[in-house]
Amino acid sequence: MQKPSLFIDAFYCWGCKTCEVACKQENRAPAGVKLIRIHEDAPREIGGRMQVLFGVTVCRHCEDPPCADACPVEAITVRSDGIVILDRDPCTGCGACLEACPYGAIGLDDEAGVAWKCNLCHHRLDRGLLPACADNVCLAHCIHLQTRAAASGAAVSGK
Amino acid sequence: MTDLTHANVKREMEVYGYDRVVRSHCRMCHGGCGVLVYTRKGRVEKIAGDPDCPINHGTLCSKGLASAQLAYHPDRLTHPVRRIGPKGSGRWERISWDQALDTIAERMLRYKTDCGAESIVMGYGTGRENEAVIYRFANYLGTPNVLTAGHFCYGPRIATSILTCGTNPIVDYENHPRCIMVWGNNLVISNPDCYKGEPFSVSLNRGAKLIAVDPRLTRIASRADIWLPLRPGTDAALAYGMLHVIVTEKLYDHAFVENHVHGWEPFCRRVQAYPPEKVEEITWVPAEKIRQAARLFAATKPAAIQWGVAIEQQVNCADNDRLLMFLMGLTGNIDVPGGQVLFRTPRIRNVGQFGAHRDLPESQRRKRLGGDRFRLAGNFAIINPKCVWDAILEEEPYPVKMLFFISSNPLLTRANAREVYRALERVDFMAVSDFFITPTAEMADIVLPAATWLEMDYIGDFWKRHGYLLPRRKVIEVGECRSDHEMLNDLAHRVGQGKHWWDNFEQALDWILEPMGITWQEFEQMDYVRGEVEYQKYKTRGFSTPTGKFELYSTMLEKWGCDPLPTYREPPESPVSTPELFKDYPYILITGARQPGFFHTENRQVPWLRELHPDPEVQIHPETARREGIREGDWVTIESPRGRVRQRAWLFAGMDPRIVSAQHAWWFPEKRDPGHGWAESNINLLTDNAYESCDPAMGATSVRTLLCRIAPEDGKGAS
Repeated sequence: MQKPSLFIDAFYCWGCKTCEVACKQENRAPAGVKLIRIHEDAPREIGGRMQVLFGVTVCRHCEDPPCADACPVEAITVRSDGIVILDRDPCTGCGACLEACPYGAIGLDDEAGVAWKCNLCHHRLDRGLLPACADNVCLAHCIHLQTRAAASGAAVSGK
Repeated sequence: MTDLTHANVKREMEVYGYDRVVRSHCRMCHGGCGVLVYTRKGRVEKIAGDPDCPINHGTLCSKGLASAQLAYHPDRLTHPVRRIGPKGSGRWERISWDQALDTIAERMLRYKTDCGAESIVMGYGTGRENEAVIYRFANYLGTPNVLTAGHFCYGPRIATSILTCGTNPIVDYENHPRCIMVWGNNLVISNPDCYKGEPFSVSLNRGAKLIAVDPRLTRIASRADIWLPLRPGTDAALAYGMLHVIVTEKLYDHAFVENHVHGWEPFCRRVQAYPPEKVEEITWVPAEKIRQAARLFAATKPAAIQWGVAIEQQVNCADNDRLLMFLMGLTGNIDVPGGQVLFRTPRIRNVGQFGAHRDLPESQRRKRLGGDRFRLAGNFAIINPKCVWDAILEEEPYPVKMLFFISSNPLLTRANAREVYRALERVDFMAVSDFFITPTAEMADIVLPAATWLEMDYIGDFWKRHGYLLPRRKVIEVGECRSDHEMLNDLAHRVGQGKHWWDNFEQALDWILEPMGITWQEFEQMDYVRGEVEYQKYKTRGFSTPTGKFELYSTMLEKWGCDPLPTYREPPESPVSTPELFKDYPYILITGARQPGFFHTENRQVPWLRELHPDPEVQIHPETARREGIREGDWVTIESPRGRVRQRAWLFAGMDPRIVSAQHAWWFPEKRDPGHGWAESNINLLTDNAYESCDPAMGATSVRTLLCRIAPEDGKGAS
């Protein structure tokens, strides 16, 4: 099975946060909940000079996702193509998945009592459309959808 | 219009059941990207970049994507209102468009009769492509006073480039410069004027060398081959230092200098005052780095300078612009592919003609506020803001009775905000056209509901210098909102100027396009038009300057009594110029670094955008923070001799510890009182607008570089 995933080369990220708003427009996540998040790392020395880099936090669609194991109501499942889906209907908002996620990629809507995460826009993928963030919005062209047999999910790389 | 055959457009329509997609042209900033607007049952459901647009190639920014949230915002003003309480009381009543425009017209005619048309000041902010229509209105009304950001933003580039080489030289990213020097600009966040971050990004990824001139380590500076972190406000000295290297090492384009330059000898004498070692003392940039950058820039062809507004909001505004143009010109990069091109606009009636500048009577032109003091500005129909506040408060040189601000929020965006407030409080009558009742609008007598770009037909990028024109097509209507163009066309009839206007604004668009032999209806069917692209036009026709040459020595400035050669002036407040003050205010404050999602004062009520950046933040070096007892995220006070505001600490090691960098234009629409927190974090409470601090030719206010002190807000700081 070919596994679709996001490939984000964070070296090229300018920090414009367009992907965050593209995601909002598509998924309408509530205020305070971001399914993809860009953050500016503190300047640090890399290769003998000071560098500023942006980091990207988004669901990695792990092969063996700890969030799914942690969920008491089985709201998080792994599809046959490897996409990890959080179904908000059964979700009780207990927050166990937030604790379990090693990447801090899951958000909680306190008011409605449900968790949110990137489902890789599977509702678009399944209909032949690209995920909102990877649909040529990025001015650095650094977010792409890739399909591959490899093990890991979203690859977020730096240089 | 090209059929929207792009696979994902058809698929988007099918999957989501959109009933319409309109190709249009975004205007959430000064920019202008091609967009696709998807609607369902007449409502905008999705906005995407237009993959076929030559400007943005399908990419977009956060602001463009969030446009519908602005257009449909629950707080949006959707009908005209009249104030029924005292100024700033927040008490308004709904009135009709006829009542609103008749009231404004009646006031205009009364002031014109009693005090002269010059007592009416029109104004706009960064311009929603309404600049030409506002100038047209003002010129036919007979007022020489249009208050814009033009004294310190873009206007100086236009004015100085006309003096130097005839028009604004635009980086030719389509032909990929091999070296890009980004000077005081973060275009990947701001997408300014004729530029977008996307083509820059692509040229860089294709291997262009990169030089960054910025006091802060931006991501662009991070990726640069050479980063020149200069002391804020010393750009002119740095540029002269590089020119010194280029002249003494003979790295310039000899044929260009020999045949196409005016003033080479006096320029060479002036340049001798700026050897790199001396420039190092002024700028904090090591002489060796200045040499390296100059050599890299001069030796790599084609090369280009990506400049920005930061160099203009300084006492050296006009000379900074000119010196960067000298770098472009002397290295042979003017009007060559992949360099900086003097693009041609398509054959239309341009902004100057539409603005009817020639129809302002000379007797009125002579009354332009500040025209005698700031000669370069005055000759380009630009005025300095303090001149307006003084005319209101001191009635000097004559009283200003009426303000009409169109998409402008000067209480937040102009220097010395306390003085701006006093002027707005005092002025006899003020009308505002905007999306919301902003802190400035709260001081108005009448506020008109302005249309967003989604609600108008227009010739997009009409005023730009990249040579493209793109149709902006109306998609929706919201309440009674009207475009500023239609509003002024209507108002013009009510003040007796109807013969210079049209029955409706579509006819004005036809008039603009007429020389191309097309109507708006025909243009609207096209994707875009572009002026003829031709390089090195100066070789056969010379430059459009008085001498026909590239003017290092400006004959126009000489005529106006200004220094014909650029010079370096120390910032009016600095460790060097005001050492006594520096003891009490021991940090150099820079302001206005751009944040994603905001366009100056705009969008702080748009949820998807405010969420990107909930609070105003001031960057402080960790060493400095430690010394002052400030931790990450603390609210801190920033204070200058003129005022004090609060922002949150963002510890940032990517700049000299002597520098503090505060954000601009902050207000808080969520605060429901009529002030909306305008005086809490507004950095312009700290800035100075004294005439002596302004650029002597352009009147630019020096809002980017001043002195400050900082302390934790709880008062438990180190000292």
